[in-house]
Amino acid sequence: MSDRQTSATSQGATRRRGARSQRTGLDSRARAWARHHRAMARDSAGRLVRHPLASLLTMLAIGIALVLPCGLWLTLDSARLLDAQLEESATLTVYMTPSMAEREAMALAETLRAHPDVGSARLVTAAEGMAEFQQVLGLDDALARLDDNPLPASVVITPLNTAPEAVRDLAGQLGSVDGVDEVRLDLAWLERLRRIAELGQRLTLALGVLFGLGVLLIVGNTIRLAVESRRKEIEVVTLIGATHAFVRRPFLYSGAWYGLGGGLLAWALLSLGGQWLAAPVQALAQSYGAHFSMPGLGLDGSAILLVSSTLLGWLGGWMAVSRHLAEIRPR
Amino acid sequence: MIAFEHVGKRYGGRFEALAGLDFHVRRGEMVFLTGHSGAGKSSLLRLIMRLERPSRGRVMVAGHDIDRLHDSQVPFYRRQIGVVFQDHQLLLDRSVFANVALPLEIQGVEPREAARRVRAALEKVGLLHREKALPIELSSGEQQRIGIARAVVNKPALLLADEPTGNLDPQLSADIMRLFEDFNRIGTTVMVASHDLALIARLRHRVLRLRDGRLIADEHAHEVAS
Repeated sequence: MSDRQTSATSQGATRRRGARSQRTGLDSRARAWARHHRAMARDSAGRLVRHPLASLLTMLAIGIALVLPCGLWLTLDSARLLDAQLEESATLTVYMTPSMAEREAMALAETLRAHPDVGSARLVTAAEGMAEFQQVLGLDDALARLDDNPLPASVVITPLNTAPEAVRDLAGQLGSVDGVDEVRLDLAWLERLRRIAELGQRLTLALGVLFGLGVLLIVGNTIRLAVESRRKEIEVVTLIGATHAFVRRPFLYSGAWYGLGGGLLAWALLSLGGQWLAAPVQALAQSYGAHFSMPGLGLDGSAILLVSSTLLGWLGGWMAVSRHLAEIRPR
Repeated sequence: MIAFEHVGKRYGGRFEALAGLDFHVRRGEMVFLTGHSGAGKSSLLRLIMRLERPSRGRVMVAGHDIDRLHDSQVPFYRRQIGVVFQDHQLLLDRSVFANVALPLEIQGVEPREAARRVRAALEKVGLLHREKALPIELSSGEQQRIGIARAVVNKPALLLADEPTGNLDPQLSADIMRLFEDFNRIGTTVMVASHDLALIARLRHRVLRLRDGRLIADEHAHEVAS
């Protein structure tokens, strides 16, 4: 401490002033810092408002870049909901040997029902199967000409545990029961759906990263032009003692405003798109017997979208201005 | 206040802008720097402002070897120096008031205190009544006085000027020099680069003469006269 005092005295007026401002302390410096932040936030917002069309176009470009990954993510999210519903409806169909008499078939159905992993079992006798078949296909005449009923009796089983591995396991066990000809499980398409969902997730991630980079580039380019147009001002303030942080600040706020504006536009586009698609999606879902409505972003999703778009804008501004600050040297 | 010790500056490895400079400027002194254009006046001032770094030797300002300042300390160093440029370097989209307030804004001076100091500086250069004007609405002499007001608004211990009268007629030039003398009288160390030899001769201050990057004369006209 005394060391600093001596050096301060020996270095005279300039140092003494430094010491005095140090005494006024962190508090006033923090207030000056906050004041400059407020001023720059206002100032950079004002600059955007003064060129409304250019600002809007930049924000729209950001918004569109954000809509694509967000939209895909929402679609996947709804697919996951659908997936869960479908999983619950996973069933096994157990076909009995074709020549089996109805009485034997009923006995076998009871045996199957007693299996600990079986939730429920519904017997479809050969005659019922034929009737269903006729109804669905509308082939009354053709089938009526058949002498024998070629269809076997079957049992539709809903497993207790609907996880794919458990279902497959159960199918194996039931397949080895006497009198069972074949066990069909319709898991293949469910698995395919799940693979498609996984592919979609990766695609969303890749798109998210790509379009995030796109946002950085859009903001970066816009800020680069802003830096260029204020080059003279940057040179002057650097000459009279502005720190890099001081010079950078207005551009960071511009970037953040662009990001926030782009995020809001993306949000609006997603909401509009969701409403526009809601009716046909619901109709489609109903035709498959599923109850399902388009999930929106929700409060969390909206907050994440806006915060990340603002951060992306800020980061884009930071990258652009840092790269150009190095180039701008006062003459 | 300023000490050059065997300072040399080369650009691009070949061109020698300054060579073997040795001089000392005391606190509170007023010094002119003369020489034909290309003699190294601007390079010398740029070394003091630490816009350039010496290729050889040391530049000491207020007891510090400024070459050893870390890049992050340079802005704070520059705040202690007021600089007046030949082309005044005013921001054309801001009012006179805002231009003069710029150094205080950078230092985070509280706005009411800043306004008080800006008005004091403007009054000193006689342009308080033009505070709301844009620089473009002023004459070149007035613009230069705004540049001076901006350079002194935070009461720097050292005031540098690079050809401050380069574009002005003799009467305006004399007015500007008188302003520098006023600031020097209240204790500011002043260094003015100028090739207006007639004006400098009349003012009777110390003169450092440069030719081809070398110091060829160091005349203490002031001491001789008094």
